[in-house]
Amino acid sequence: MDLCINEYGSLVWAIASRYVKNRTCAEDLVQETFTDLWKSANRYDPAIATESTFIGMLARRRAIDFVRRENRRPLFEPLPESDDIPHCLIDSSSAIRCDSHEVKAALQILPEDTRRIFSLHFDQGMSHPEIVEKTGLPLGTVKTRLRRGLIDVRNHLRRLEGAEPSATATK
Amino acid sequence: MSEQDMLERFEELEAGRILGDLSNEEMAEWQNLSDTHGLKKDFSIELAAAAIQTEFIQSHADPLPAHLAKSLRQTFPRQTPPPKIAPSVENPLIWQRIFRSPQAAWGIAAVFAVLLAISFIGGNSGSGTSSHLSGNPSPKEALERLRGKAGDLIESEFGGTESYGQMSGNVVWSDEMQEGYMTLTDLPANDPSKKQYQLWIIDPARDEKPVDGGVFDIPSGESTSIIPIRNPLFVTKPQAFVITLEQPGGVVVSKQEVVVALAKAS
Repeated sequence: MDLCINEYGSLVWAIASRYVKNRTCAEDLVQETFTDLWKSANRYDPAIATESTFIGMLARRRAIDFVRRENRRPLFEPLPESDDIPHCLIDSSSAIRCDSHEVKAALQILPEDTRRIFSLHFDQGMSHPEIVEKTGLPLGTVKTRLRRGLIDVRNHLRRLEGAEPSATATK
Repeated sequence: MSEQDMLERFEELEAGRILGDLSNEEMAEWQNLSDTHGLKKDFSIELAAAAIQTEFIQSHADPLPAHLAKSLRQTFPRQTPPPKIAPSVENPLIWQRIFRSPQAAWGIAAVFAVLLAISFIGGNSGSGTSSHLSGNPSPKEALERLRGKAGDLIESEFGGTESYGQMSGNVVWSDEMQEGYMTLTDLPANDPSKKQYQLWIIDPARDEKPVDGGVFDIPSGESTSIIPIRNPLFVTKPQAFVITLEQPGGVVVSKQEVVVALAKAS
């Protein structure tokens, strides 16, 4: 686990501290994420995602669930427990194995203003209201550009996988 | 709404769910589309979000604070090695290096052991019946499996507080496996939209704050339920297990306004 902490500790810490401003809570989140990782390690499948994406996904889940609990929004369905990972990731139709270069290229397909919103959200960890304040855009526009931009990037990355852009399907 | 429109709407809501920005109305819409029209969660969106965030952050992420890194290193190697179970999948890169590390290999072996028991246990509440769809062990089967393989089980009886005096039950926990189950009898059914039960694990060796053991529901019509413990943090020497009643979704820190039951480990 030392190797993992050395290699990905800063990534997990960065994600936790972007979503949670309270340092103690962010440290708790890092602990939770590595525990999650310890429990989920053998579910990692290199055919589905890179290591950093897999670990980034676990860190994001923990962080977003924490924010939801803090915001006391009970109707939100939690993101899947790590126990759910094999059910879902085993399906290779969900694969996003792209490397850093490919993700960079995928982000370039977005309009410049959407890239800026992405940077504020994913890089600087700004909440939607903070982005509204920073950019002057309406909240609905921020939400829509983030959602549609995310879908566009996903579609682009899936084309690189040789898959159909949309994985939405019926059970 | 045409089928294509519906698929696109679901995809947009799914993206919002992954970004954590769904309103309650949108969440209800997402749930309706998922339940009524059989649309399934799309993990490629979540993976894309993780890849994007990692790409943005990785090049200039602050280092993990030294005291936190030290704490993590102390937490994981100190776990007692469980029975070694051979991995069933091949993992490359860092995972291979982890497996080559003797200390970490024990840790990873524990993962496989744990996963054998819990990997496919679905949902927060246990009904004691098998999952016919997945063929995965029910909580009852998983509990029996844990009893058969863990060498360090602790078992304690729950006692209900004043308003819950009729309930009974026990908790079984293994430090080695980081796995445990509660068997609860005559605990009143809850309405998940109003209140949910939450387990707290008291582990003074780890922290003075109780560790979250997971939110769960008691369905109506069941006198006895087996509930898997879902601890996000490592627990090493639990001294007590406390069930509280909280707002839906649970809380990060309980005010312990409604303490339902208590089990002392020693």
